[in-house]
Amino acid sequence: MNDVRTGSTPAVQAEGLVKHYPSRTGDIEAVRGVDLKVEAGEVFGFLGPNGAGKSTTVRMLTTLLSITSGSAQVAGVDVADEPDAVRRRIGVALQEAGLDPRQTGRELLVLQGRLFGLPPRDATERAKELLELVELEDAADRMIKGYSGGMERRLDLASALVHEPEVLFLDEPTTGLDPASRLTVWDELRRINERGTTVFLTTQYLEEADQLCDRLAIIDDGRIVREGTPARLKADLRERRGLTSDPTLDDVFLDATGRTRGRVVGEVQEVTA
Amino acid sequence: MNEAWVLGQRALREGWRTPEALLPTLFIPLFFLVVNVGQAAEIFPSASTEFLHGQGYGAFQLPSSLLLAASFGTAALFLVEDIEGGYFDKLRAAPVSRTAIVMGRLIAEAVKGVLIAAAIVLLGLIFGISIASGPLGFVLLVGMTALWSVVFVGFMQLIALKTRSAAATNSGGLIFFPLLFLTPNFVPRDMLTRPMEIAATLNPVTYVMEALRSLILQDLVWADIWPGFAVVAVLGAVMLVLNVRMIRNYD
Repeated sequence: MNDVRTGSTPAVQAEGLVKHYPSRTGDIEAVRGVDLKVEAGEVFGFLGPNGAGKSTTVRMLTTLLSITSGSAQVAGVDVADEPDAVRRRIGVALQEAGLDPRQTGRELLVLQGRLFGLPPRDATERAKELLELVELEDAADRMIKGYSGGMERRLDLASALVHEPEVLFLDEPTTGLDPASRLTVWDELRRINERGTTVFLTTQYLEEADQLCDRLAIIDDGRIVREGTPARLKADLRERRGLTSDPTLDDVFLDATGRTRGRVVGEVQEVTA
Repeated sequence: MNEAWVLGQRALREGWRTPEALLPTLFIPLFFLVVNVGQAAEIFPSASTEFLHGQGYGAFQLPSSLLLAASFGTAALFLVEDIEGGYFDKLRAAPVSRTAIVMGRLIAEAVKGVLIAAAIVLLGLIFGISIASGPLGFVLLVGMTALWSVVFVGFMQLIALKTRSAAATNSGGLIFFPLLFLTPNFVPRDMLTRPMEIAATLNPVTYVMEALRSLILQDLVWADIWPGFAVVAVLGAVMLVLNVRMIRNYD
């Protein structure tokens, strides 16, 4: 059995992953040959400026986008050949909290459980557990359209966990959240990871990556330009530049993407939660 | 089928919780029924108009209203909302068969179609229209209308999936109006001008309308009824296949 929780199989492995989009002016190369290996149990950060190819890569790995060329396995299963088997092993929370505003939080979670094959009673029980986990018991029977941004994010996260996935993909899960909500999501991610779920996280918040990720990769213009632990990446930069003090992850990011602080205003935001 | 029914229940809750989207599907067809009967009933008195089979002109016009009620395709606009809000991706990322994703909405549309058609026919009964084909005819009338609503929403969903735009989907729905008027809408087919008769003969909506009309005005005349069911069955199957294919290839 390819269970990444046993540690025998990489959680994510991609080789030469390419995505081209057709456009009126010719093909757009959104991802130009990404190689990735995420070990089981890691929190893996995937960073990059806007339009670098983060979301496109995640959408390919989660079966939502076709792969132009290259290959990817998630939880040991080929994404292109067996998409349904991949879907059973992963949880997905994308940039837009994928929620139905006309359902209650409880209804959404029960439905999600049913779609993953849980019998009605089990789906109801699992929804209850998850509502407790993300501290939404009080709002469980209210329409989602009345939820705050933070509540929506937490519910989205809960819906991605309904089937206890082996690998959890989170695409900018804290974008737009206030600092308190962001901290709550961080705590939940740590708890989820402690239970054995591998987390693949894209973010524009470098402090978030520094706080949460065991390892990270930086993508720019569709290619991976740095990969390693946050400490290793900082140490490399310090060594290479002959710096007297430790650089920050921001410095690593700017160095990797060839950007200056002036150029990235509005592209990458630093957040102190 | 279980997945489709679970998704169908969700789509029904969605419709129930958005009455403002449902009410026009009831009132606008009734408005057209009243206006059309008001304009033409004097021209076609029931006593001397053979094609009315002894009923008033309202009975002849009822199928047009039923088809109009079944051709709003509101579910496709909810689908656009799902796409824009990210919920559609959540469904696509689940190990749910693509057929179930399509069928869920179509099942809900069929249930809504039954309720709306039954409501319009019952209102017609109150205003003196009778269903000459009896209780079985009533069931067939409501069933065929509901199946047409499934066909039409399937068509609208194709536009929604292709364009991912509420405006484009809404505009696409307007295609039904030429189809509705290229039918024996006001008089039987053999009384149309030759070009209109040819156009109506080529228009599949004609056969659904004539089947519905037959169920209202006459006893069970299977020769008139089966072409209507054949049209909704064939078009329904085509819409299902095209919808599933489009979701499978959705990027």
